[in-house]
Amino acid sequence: MRTLSMLLISMISFPLVFIRNNSIYQAIVMYVVMLFATLLVFIYAPNEQMQGIVQKIFYFHVSSSVTAFSAFFLVFVASIMYLWKNAEWWDAVALSAAEIGVVFCTLVLITGPIWARPIWGTWWSWDPTLTLTLVLWLIYVAYLMLRLDAHDPKRSRFAAVLGIVGYVDIPLILWSVEKWRTLHPKPVLIQEGGTTGLPFTMLFTFAVCLVAFMLLFFYLLRERISIIQSQHTIEVLRHQVDNLPTG
Amino acid sequence: MKNFWYLFAAYSTIWTALGVYMLRLSQKNKELQAELRALQVQIEKALTR
Repeated sequence: MRTLSMLLISMISFPLVFIRNNSIYQAIVMYVVMLFATLLVFIYAPNEQMQGIVQKIFYFHVSSSVTAFSAFFLVFVASIMYLWKNAEWWDAVALSAAEIGVVFCTLVLITGPIWARPIWGTWWSWDPTLTLTLVLWLIYVAYLMLRLDAHDPKRSRFAAVLGIVGYVDIPLILWSVEKWRTLHPKPVLIQEGGTTGLPFTMLFTFAVCLVAFMLLFFYLLRERISIIQSQHTIEVLRHQVDNLPTG
Repeated sequence: MKNFWYLFAAYSTIWTALGVYMLRLSQKNKELQAELRALQVQIEKALTR
């Protein structure tokens, strides 16, 4: 159990190595790993016996959900730091992570039903895991709607509180997958007793997909934070231009 | 190859959505950089006048 947990944590944190100033270098590495992950999914990973080819959705579906949960965890941490330190930078991190988290959560909510249709015979079921994931998506969409007016610090603080409280939904989702009797499949990556339910080929493919998604996440995060910082600098410069001596 | 179209739909959605989002971020970044440069030039011109 401990080894698998350590492996999972390493896979998520490994892409942190690639946070550098050179975004082209980062983009190239991300592109190569993503291409490798796609090749593994379609060529290397075997078809699952019961579900057939449609099971391959699992690799990007679960990677998207881990990425979304990591993004919302970052919103949680950055929101606490913003309320504590009142530093604009933490607010920018929280807003960026929330937007990226919503993108990946949307992908989870789209690819899940696409997998469910041939397997369950229905696109959607109001089962606890699916419903809680939809609630999670709605919470962070509300967060983004609150942040539409970027100039209001009161809204930023209120959104930070929502970012912290909203995170409570994630442990509930994880708990529902494991403990509640739901339609959603039980965890196969790390099962009770610390074993994995995946053969090596599938586990390796999933590990590469997860690294690719984490690289993508940090790349997008850097780009998004850079946009917020540029917007802030432009505001300062505009103020300077308005106060320039005329004539 | 039963259910291939579901797999195709899932991966197409992921690639399209991520592609569009990345493109949007990159375009926005380019626009802001151009605006930043223009404002810097404007300030420099005014100060050297």
